[in-house]
Amino acid sequence: MKHRQILLANVDFPDQATIAGYESRGGYKTVRKVLGMDPLAVREEVKKSGLRGRGGAGFPTGRKWDFIPAKCDKPVYLINNADESEPGTFKDRVLLERDPHLCIEGMIIAAWAVQSKWSCIYIRGEYGYPYVRIQRAVEEAYKHGYLGDNIFGSGFAHHMVVHRGAGAYICGEETALLNSLEGKKGQPRLKPPYFPAVRGLYDAPTIVNNTETLAACVWILENGGEAYAKIGTEKSPGTKLFACSGHINKPGVYEVEMGYPVLDFIEDELGGIWKGRKLKGIIPGGSSFPIMRADQLQGVTLDYESLVAAGSGLGSGGFMVMDDTTDMVEAAENVAHFYAHESCGQCTPCREGGHWIEKIFHRVAHGRGLPGDMELARSVANNVEGHTICAFGEALAWPAQAFIKRFPEEFTARIEEARIEEARIEEARIEEARIEEGLVAIGNRNGKENGARPSMHYQLKSNH
Amino acid sequence: MSEQQSEHKAAPVMVNLTIDGKPVTVAKGTNLIEAAKSIGVTIPHYCYHPHLSVPGNCRMCQVEVKGQAKMNIGCNTAVAEGMEVLTQETSQKSRDAQSSTLEFILINHPLDCTVCDQAGHCKLQDYHYDYNAKPSRFLEEKEHKVKALPLGPTVMLDGERCIMCTRCIRFCDEVTGTSELGMLNRGDRSVIAVNEGHELNNALSGTVVDLCPVGALTHREWRFNTRIWFTKETDSICPGCSTGCNVKVAVRDRQVVQVKARLNSQVNKEWLCDQGRYGFERFLPGKRLTAPQVRGVDSTFDQAIAIAKTISGGETLVFVAPDLLTEEYIVLKRFLDKCVKQSQVAIAYRERKLSKVEEILISPDYAANFRGAEFSGLVTGDIQAGYEAALERLRSGTITNLILVGDRCLTAEDATPEICAKIKQASLSIAILTDAASSLAASATVVLPERSILEKSGLLINRKQRLQYTDRVVEFPDGTQPAWRLINQLAVACGSRIVSAQSDRDLTLEILASESRLAGLKIATIKQGGVCLDSYKPGDANSRPSSSDARV
Repeated sequence: MKHRQILLANVDFPDQATIAGYESRGGYKTVRKVLGMDPLAVREEVKKSGLRGRGGAGFPTGRKWDFIPAKCDKPVYLINNADESEPGTFKDRVLLERDPHLCIEGMIIAAWAVQSKWSCIYIRGEYGYPYVRIQRAVEEAYKHGYLGDNIFGSGFAHHMVVHRGAGAYICGEETALLNSLEGKKGQPRLKPPYFPAVRGLYDAPTIVNNTETLAACVWILENGGEAYAKIGTEKSPGTKLFACSGHINKPGVYEVEMGYPVLDFIEDELGGIWKGRKLKGIIPGGSSFPIMRADQLQGVTLDYESLVAAGSGLGSGGFMVMDDTTDMVEAAENVAHFYAHESCGQCTPCREGGHWIEKIFHRVAHGRGLPGDMELARSVANNVEGHTICAFGEALAWPAQAFIKRFPEEFTARIEEARIEEARIEEARIEEARIEEGLVAIGNRNGKENGARPSMHYQLKSNH
Repeated sequence: MSEQQSEHKAAPVMVNLTIDGKPVTVAKGTNLIEAAKSIGVTIPHYCYHPHLSVPGNCRMCQVEVKGQAKMNIGCNTAVAEGMEVLTQETSQKSRDAQSSTLEFILINHPLDCTVCDQAGHCKLQDYHYDYNAKPSRFLEEKEHKVKALPLGPTVMLDGERCIMCTRCIRFCDEVTGTSELGMLNRGDRSVIAVNEGHELNNALSGTVVDLCPVGALTHREWRFNTRIWFTKETDSICPGCSTGCNVKVAVRDRQVVQVKARLNSQVNKEWLCDQGRYGFERFLPGKRLTAPQVRGVDSTFDQAIAIAKTISGGETLVFVAPDLLTEEYIVLKRFLDKCVKQSQVAIAYRERKLSKVEEILISPDYAANFRGAEFSGLVTGDIQAGYEAALERLRSGTITNLILVGDRCLTAEDATPEICAKIKQASLSIAILTDAASSLAASATVVLPERSILEKSGLLINRKQRLQYTDRVVEFPDGTQPAWRLINQLAVACGSRIVSAQSDRDLTLEILASESRLAGLKIATIKQGGVCLDSYKPGDANSRPSSSDARV
């Protein structure tokens, strides 16, 4: 059984967003147990589960929690990173909207594990309805005493705030998120020294976890880390939410066990390619991950290792499918436009390179491509990748590189078309000029009959 | 940064590494740019400044560290034991990273060097020739931004030239604490802007222009004034107050056309106040004395000195300006000791109140070298009280002889008609001045034409007892003499020669040789950041410049 319901099990119940509904299906049971455990034991359980961050980087969650200094006189902060803005990714939205108490319960468990008394849900500004739902849930939890100075009567104090972003993609980067939360401009911080677990929010130790990661902690603590580790593959345990969009019959958010074959997933779960067309390519991890050709997908499975080996990545699970009518040059331009627009402007390669790549793709897509443009775009992307303050440089460079590398024939064809069109226009222009200067009698356009010879001037021009 | 450095001084843990194969030993915590500087290798950089926080945003200082796949930025990478750093000198990877960064910076740069004030001293131009020098591959229209936006009364912004290094923002946040500046928008539409409801109007506002590595920020005072290569630039000391800020002054046709701060971590870091920067002209009066005057009539030196030498007879009150060279105070002191029977000396020194931002850099006086006067022994004790007492004595009208040295021998508010009348009443008054239009020149019996502090080279001592060397920035007008030479001539006329030097430089050497407290010092040593007299042990031939600010 590859289609397993851990996170999405209850999202379809209409009353799941209320405490009564949530508790009727076993909610807030785990956290009561956890509050009686040793925090280190909670971390141990999560480490045993092998849970990896679902935000895109895939860093082991338990290990991240261990980075919190053992002795520190500053408060520890926990952030639920719900600034889900990657094009193609909309998986956290389902949890925030349909099962907000699962997110809250997961956060309290994580907060207990790192002994944090204050946490924040940093939710994407554009998520209006999910914000309403999670905000209501937090208020309800306060009313029930599930949040506050003495939660569940355990003596543990934990306060939770929902904070809406202001519409910047980069604020999903954890240090930019912290700056934004502090009221500063949402720009990533320099590492070192600003590793969040040591110097995070207000310079205090801070854990930033993705919404899906935190939600998964509930099941792990309920059923044990070992049980979770048995699901999925050895190195990528558990289930993963995929936000599936594009040219498929059944778009939506799917929860699958890691290790699910990509092609089976498209055929069996997503209902296959729409309109009876053929698969051309997929982007498996959100728009920042390299696109893959259909013929690369044989034997590839949905987990961190297999997708990386195949030349892409699991990322945040923004699974975009493209059929054989898709114009890859325009797709590349579309993605490049997003990253150019969202670059924070802090460091040089990303600030300038993002726009440059967009402009190159734009001219190729609009019939003004030049020979050498593919090499140029690749070189610009290479110069951005790995040279920036945060991982946005890679997010910008990888898709650009992959579109050129995997669909070179489309770029070449566009550039060739542009060259032919250019030559045609140039010829027409020369003809026009000859008529204007009276070298050719009106009505005798090609000038051959009266023996008019093109002057040197025109020959030079036509050589251009 | 400076706090960190002083911490390391207290417990210097040293780290060994190699840079371009050369072994380097520096204190733990030093970054790669500073470590490389210590062996004379320059890692190019824009946003990094030793006295500001490290934002790591320009990406110009990327260098290869052996064993690491990614490039490291020199400004934010601390040295580690055994680290092997390969800069652009030895690594193709470093060269490529730096040249690609430059290409990125330049794609939206307007390249309006032909009309840019920064041309000729622009890091973009320098680095382009040093590290890129390739034609751009960028074919599209560049981003257009604001071309001339006044940020405040002193500074103009050209948004297109800006490379977003954020030095100006950080200066206003971290040094002045006034936080006027910020960055608007994202991506290549980013632009520096003044925060709403503010203007860049603080006591140090002009410093952001010095910090700007390109031509984005310019002085409204000096915009489109002259090309820098038509000027003569001199390393000098600002004579505005006793902080002794290190400056570089550009002069064209005897006009000061630009003043920049120079890096000196011990004195002014690389800051300079607006009062000092834009106030250089006040040291160069429009109407100059170029010949001696006797009772208001032009005369010759011989005649003037012949009258002046009778000063040796009586009881004398001396007012000296606080912005003379230390050598001049010493010469004056020796002259008074040898030739004048009885004298009381006062220096025009009065403290003033400073605002919070001013306190960061400015000293509460207009007395560039009052420490020099103290050093010479001319004045001692509470000098402000001494000055007030001398003024009182002048007012009470019992003075027979009076010597006034320097335009600012009386503070601006004290040079009143009442005081001038008293000067006229003195039986003999000698004034050594530059400004022909001053009321003092009209009042004194004998007026001798002096040179301005900007026309002399010599030693200054700042408030914190740092001995520094100021270089002549402007050519002196014909007919003028430095005060020390005038005093020496007077002394010769009175029968004793004080110094034999003929030039400012000779005088400095003569004083360094004859003054036991300065024994062992050389001009070249003093020029490199100055010498702290409090900690200097005379005769210490191995004395090294206390500042390691090699300007790069």
